[in-house]
Amino acid sequence: MAKTILELTLNGQPREDAVADNTLLIDYLREVTGHTGTKMGCDGGECGACTVLVDGKPRLSCLCMASSCKGRHVETVEGCSESGRLSILQKAFNEQLGTQCGYCTPGMIMAAEGLLRENPKPSKNEIRQALGGNICRCTGYVKIIEAVQTAAGEMS
Amino acid sequence: MSPRDDDRQPMVGRRAPLIDGIEKVSGKAQYTADFYHSDAYVGRLFRSPYAHAEIISVDVSKARALPGVIAVITGEDCDKPFGIIPIAQNEFPLSRDKVRYRGEPVAAVAAIDEASAEAALKLIDFKVKELPGYFTADEARAEGAILLHDDRPGNLEREVHSEFGDVDAGFHVADLVREETYDCAEVTHVHMEPHASLATYDVERDRVTLHSVTQVPYYLHKRVAQCMDMDESQVRVIKPFIGGGFGARTEALNFEIITCLLARSAGGTVRMKLSREETFLTHRGRPRTRVKMKIGMTKDGKMTACDCVVEQTGGAFAGYGIVTILYAGSLLNAIYDIPAVRYNGFRVYTNTPACGAMRGHGTVDVRHAFESVTDMMAEELGLDPFVVRRTNLLNAPIRTINDLEVTSYGLPECLDWVEEACGWKERVGKMPKGKGLGMACSHYVSGAAKPVHWTGEPHAVINLKLDFDGGITILTGASDIGQGSSTILAQVVGEVMKVDFDRLTVIANDSRITPKDNGSYSSRVTFMVGNAALEAAENLKAIMIEAAAGKLEVKPEEVECMGESYRIAGQQGSDIPYKEVVAAALVDTGTITVKGTFTVPKKFQGGKYHGAGVGPSMAYSYSTLAAEVTVDEITGRVIVDKIWVAHDVGYALNPLSVEGQVQGGVWMGMGQAISEETSYHEGLPITSNMLDYRVPTMVESPDIEVKIIESIDPNGPFGAKEASEGCLSGVVPAIANAVYNATGVRLFETPLTPERIVNGQIKLERLKKKQAAGGES
Amino acid sequence: MEFMPNFTVLYPKTVKEAVSFFGENPDARYVAGGTDLIVNIRRGIVAPGTLIDLAQIDEMNKIESDGKGGHRIGASVTLASLLDHKEITRDYEAVSQAAAEIAAATHRQVATVGGNLCLDTRCVFYNQSEWWRSANNYCLKSQGETCHVAPSGTECFAAFSGDLAPALLVFGAEVEITGPDGARTVPLTDIYANDGAAHLLLKKGEILVTVLLPDARGLRSGYAKARVRDSIDFPLAGSAIALKKGSNGVDEIRLALTGVKSCPVLVDGIDVLIGTPMDDEALETLASLLPKQIKPMTSTFTPPGYRRKVAANLSRSLANRLYQSA
Repeated sequence: MAKTILELTLNGQPREDAVADNTLLIDYLREVTGHTGTKMGCDGGECGACTVLVDGKPRLSCLCMASSCKGRHVETVEGCSESGRLSILQKAFNEQLGTQCGYCTPGMIMAAEGLLRENPKPSKNEIRQALGGNICRCTGYVKIIEAVQTAAGEMS
Repeated sequence: MSPRDDDRQPMVGRRAPLIDGIEKVSGKAQYTADFYHSDAYVGRLFRSPYAHAEIISVDVSKARALPGVIAVITGEDCDKPFGIIPIAQNEFPLSRDKVRYRGEPVAAVAAIDEASAEAALKLIDFKVKELPGYFTADEARAEGAILLHDDRPGNLEREVHSEFGDVDAGFHVADLVREETYDCAEVTHVHMEPHASLATYDVERDRVTLHSVTQVPYYLHKRVAQCMDMDESQVRVIKPFIGGGFGARTEALNFEIITCLLARSAGGTVRMKLSREETFLTHRGRPRTRVKMKIGMTKDGKMTACDCVVEQTGGAFAGYGIVTILYAGSLLNAIYDIPAVRYNGFRVYTNTPACGAMRGHGTVDVRHAFESVTDMMAEELGLDPFVVRRTNLLNAPIRTINDLEVTSYGLPECLDWVEEACGWKERVGKMPKGKGLGMACSHYVSGAAKPVHWTGEPHAVINLKLDFDGGITILTGASDIGQGSSTILAQVVGEVMKVDFDRLTVIANDSRITPKDNGSYSSRVTFMVGNAALEAAENLKAIMIEAAAGKLEVKPEEVECMGESYRIAGQQGSDIPYKEVVAAALVDTGTITVKGTFTVPKKFQGGKYHGAGVGPSMAYSYSTLAAEVTVDEITGRVIVDKIWVAHDVGYALNPLSVEGQVQGGVWMGMGQAISEETSYHEGLPITSNMLDYRVPTMVESPDIEVKIIESIDPNGPFGAKEASEGCLSGVVPAIANAVYNATGVRLFETPLTPERIVNGQIKLERLKKKQAAGGES
Repeated sequence: MEFMPNFTVLYPKTVKEAVSFFGENPDARYVAGGTDLIVNIRRGIVAPGTLIDLAQIDEMNKIESDGKGGHRIGASVTLASLLDHKEITRDYEAVSQAAAEIAAATHRQVATVGGNLCLDTRCVFYNQSEWWRSANNYCLKSQGETCHVAPSGTECFAAFSGDLAPALLVFGAEVEITGPDGARTVPLTDIYANDGAAHLLLKKGEILVTVLLPDARGLRSGYAKARVRDSIDFPLAGSAIALKKGSNGVDEIRLALTGVKSCPVLVDGIDVLIGTPMDDEALETLASLLPKQIKPMTSTFTPPGYRRKVAANLSRSLANRLYQSA
C-alpha cells in the first residue's frame, strides 16, 4: 500500500508520519499517533463523536482523509488542556455534567470549541445548531448546552 | 443522620461532578477499543445472510489457508449454549445446525490485519437449506409455522396468565369501560460506543483475560467460562470505561464470547471492534409490542379493573425475554390503586435479532397504553387527568395485590409540582392552534429483588481498603456505565467517614481485584450497592473509632468522628488527626480491609405464584410528566417544546447526577415517542445506522425541567431509590396525550412520526365530515 | 469498523491538472468534501482506485460577482463559506436556506456546493453495508438485477436528495463543466436525468467547476424541507420557490423540488399562475401541478404517500408566505 509522509501540526506540535493514502484522519490519530481521545461512533458522519478541529474549524475525522491535512493544524481533545490543566470548556463539561458515559464528549467538546472561537457568546439556539451533528445518548443535551453557556460566560 | 457540627459540605446531597469526569473531558478515559496492543490480531465476524435456515456446511478451509490468517472458528468450536436466564439458554456464540436471523455470527476470523481478515471472510463457503422466515409475531404464531426452537411450541418463548382480584366484577361496577390496542415500534439503545472486546489467551497457563463493554462483568465471566469449558478461576473480566449501555449490555453478548474463543484458537490477543451496523445487529432492544388495554372506571374516575394483553416480538433467542414479558404484567401494579388486574402476556420468537432489556425494561409500552387510555377516559368522563390520577393514588405503605411492597410513594407531590410548573390549570385547552399539553405518570423498580442467579449470596458486596497512606479505596464490581454509580458509592462512603473525594478512590470491575457484583441493570446499583457501601463504611468507621478510643483513652461510644480528625464527643481541642488514627488502627493488623453487604429481605422478594420473581423490589420510583408540543400543520411533525418532570427518587444523593439521569431518561423516551424505530426488510434491518435510526439531535431536543421529589425511602441508602428509568415510560404517553390535545388526533402506533400524524389528521377530517353529514340526516 | 479499501489520493491544484489526473487514472473518482463519497466507500458501495480531491483547487473555491448582478460560485466552495457570503444570503434566500438545512454544521464545514449538486441518489436498499447488500442480492443501482423498491420494473428509483439543486434551479442557474473534451456551459437542469442508477449526465472525467447564478434582485425566494430531525437528515421532500409579485399578482414564479424523484424537478406549467394573485385557488392550482411531475417511491421507509403530500404542503405554504411577504 502506497504510503506518503504526512507533515502536520498536531495539538501544536509538528510531526511527520508515514501514512497510507487510504487512511482516514481518525485512524491516523488513533492508530498512528495514539491519540485515542477521538472516538469512532458510527459508520460515517452520522454521530459527530470523531469531531476534531482542522485549522480551527470542526471536522468529522471519520470522513476526512489524513493526507488532506498535510500542512494543517489538527487539534484533538487531548490538546485542549494546558500542562494538565483542563480548559474552561472542559472544566464546564465536567462540573455541569455535560458528560455522562463520556464517549461523545471529545467530539462534543471539539465542536463546542470550534463554535466558541467563532462565536464567543452563542445563544441556546446557536449552540443547538452548531452541535446539531453531535449525538449524545446520555444527557438529553440539556446539561451540554448549559456547560457551553457556562464556559462562554467564563471566557468573556 | 445526626446533624453535622462541622461546616464542611456534606458528601451526600452534594452536586458533585463525576469522580471520573476529568478523564472523560480530557480524552484520557480509555474505552475497550482504545487499548493498543502491538501484537493483537484483528477479529472479524462472518454473519448469516439468511433469516432462517438449516446449516449444511461452513467451509472455512480456504479462509484458514489465506496468508495472514491466524485462526478461523465456527459453531464446531463451541457446543455450549449461553443466555442470561438460567432456564432459557438457547444461543450459541457461533451458530450450530441452524441460523435464526440475518446477521447471526456463523464464523469468526483472527488475522494479522484488517485486510487479511476481510479477505478471509470472503473465502468462507456457507451452505444452508433455507426455511421460511418469520418477521412478525403473527407470522411466527401462525398455524404450521416451523419452530425456531424445537422445545418452544407455537414459537412462544413464554406465556404469562395472571389475575389478581376479581376483574370481571371490577368491570361490572364500572361506569365506563374502554379498550384500545397499541402497536409500539421496536427500538434500540444506540449507546454511543460501538461494541468492542479485547481478549488475551495465555496459552501456557490456560487463562483468558477479557476487556469488554459489559454492564454485567459477573454474568459475562460465567458465560465465558461456560462456553470455553474453563474453570471460572481461569477467567478474568475487566470492564474499562464504557460508552453507555441502557440495557444493551446487561447480558453476555455473542461477540464477547467469540473474541475469547478466537483468542484461544489464535493463541494470543484478539481485538474485535464491531461496526455501528453490527452493533445494531447485536441489538437486545425493546421488542415491538402490541398492547391491548382495557380499563374500567367509575364516573368519578376511580379505577375498578384493568385487563391487559401484551404480545412482544422477541427475536431469535431467549435473552431476557421471560423477564420482559413478566415485567410488562407485574408493573401494571404498584403505581395506582387498582383492585383487580388481569394480564396475559405472549413472548414470541421471530427471525430477527434478539430483543432484550432496555431502559424501563418491560414497562414502557404498557405504561404508554395505560396512560393513554386513562387520558381518553378522563376526557370522556369530563374529568381532569390530574384529578383522575389523584383519585387512584396508593395508600402507601402497602403490599399490592400482586405482592409488591410499596414503602415510599412521592407520586402525589410529583403530580402537584408538574401541574403547577406547566401551568396546567391556566393553559390546558386554551393553547393556540397546533399546540397542546399532555401529562402522564410512571414508575420503576430500584433493583430486582430476586437476582438472576439464586446463589444465596448477598445482592451486593463492597470492599474497602484502608492503608498506611490514609487513602480509602472502594472496591466494587458495580459497573459505572456513565450513570455515575462510582461517584455515588464514593459519596456514600465519604458521607459515613466524613471525608471528601480527595481521600477516596474507586476501583471497579476487575474480577481479580473487585468483589463480585450482579451488575448495572434494573436500577439496582444506587440502592443495593449503595447500601452495601454504607455498611462497609460504617464497619470501617467502627474500626477507626475503636483506634481513636484507644488513643483518647475513652470508650468507643464517647468518640466522635469528625472526618479529618477524631475527638471526644463535644470536646474541642481533644482532636487526633485522621492520619494518626489510621496509624493506630493499623498497629498489629496492617492494611485494613472491610466489607459491607446488602441482601433484600424475604418480605420484599414477592409472592409465591408462578412468575412472582419479576417485579418485586425494595423501592419504587415515581414520576409525573407534562409535555408541551407543537404539531406542524404543514409537515405533521411533532415538535416537543418543553417537558416538565417530577421524579420521586427517595433522596438525591447527588442532585446534579439525578437531574442528568432524569433528563437523559426523559429525552430517550421522547425519541421513542417521536422518531425512533427499528425496521426490517425481510429480516434485514434497514435502520441499522445512525441516519435512519433517528436518535433526536440537539436541535429538536427541548428543555427538560426537573423537580426532584424526596420521599425518603425507609430502606434506601440515606433514603435514595431509582433515578433514571421510571421517568422514561411516562414520556411517550405524555407526548401522545399532548398531540391529541393539540390536534384531536389519537394515534395507536408509536413513534408519532409525521406520516402517522398526517394520516391521523386525514382520518379525523373524514370522521368529522361523516359525523356532520350524519347529524344533518 | 467498516473496512477501508485501498486507494490513492491525488491533490491537483488546478482544474486542468485534475482532468489530466483523471486521464491517467480511469478508475478515479472526484471527491470534494467527502461527506457522501467517503461513506459510500466505507460501505463498499464504490471502490475507486484513485480519489482526486477537488477541495484544494483555488479557482473552484471562489465566489465572484459576474459584473451583471449575478454570481459565479466555485463548486468547491463549502456550504459554510456559502452561508458566510453576504450577497448570496441577501440575494438568493432559497439558496442560503437550503444550504443551512443540509446535514449538520460540522458537515457543512467541508461539504461543497458541487458535492451537493452531484450527490449520489439514495435508497434504503443501496445505502447499506456490503454485507447487507449482498444478503439482499444487491440492487439495480449497483451490482444487482432487481430494484427492491419496484421489483417488477426495470428502473432504479433511488431518490435525488440534494437540497441545493432545487434552490439553484428556481434562479435558472447554469453550470460550467470541464472535462477531457474541454469546457461547456449548460443549464443546471440539463445535468440531471430521472434515473436513480445514472442521474448525472456528466461525461467521464468531467468536473462541475462553477455554478452561475443570474441577477435575482427583485425575486423573493425560499426553501422548505420536510425531515424528521432538524439536523443531519436528508430531505423527505424539499421545495424551493422564487417569485416576483407585481400589481396584477404573480409576475414571475419558479418552483423546484427535491427528494421526490431520481432527479431534482423544476416544475413545468407553473406559468399559469402569472397574472393572478396567490389566493387559495392559485395555491390549489400550484399543488395540482405536482402529482404528475413527482414520483416518490419507497426508497426510504417514510411512505411515498406522505412525501407526495408533504411536497405539496410545503410548496403551498412557501408560495403563500413568499407572496404575502413580497
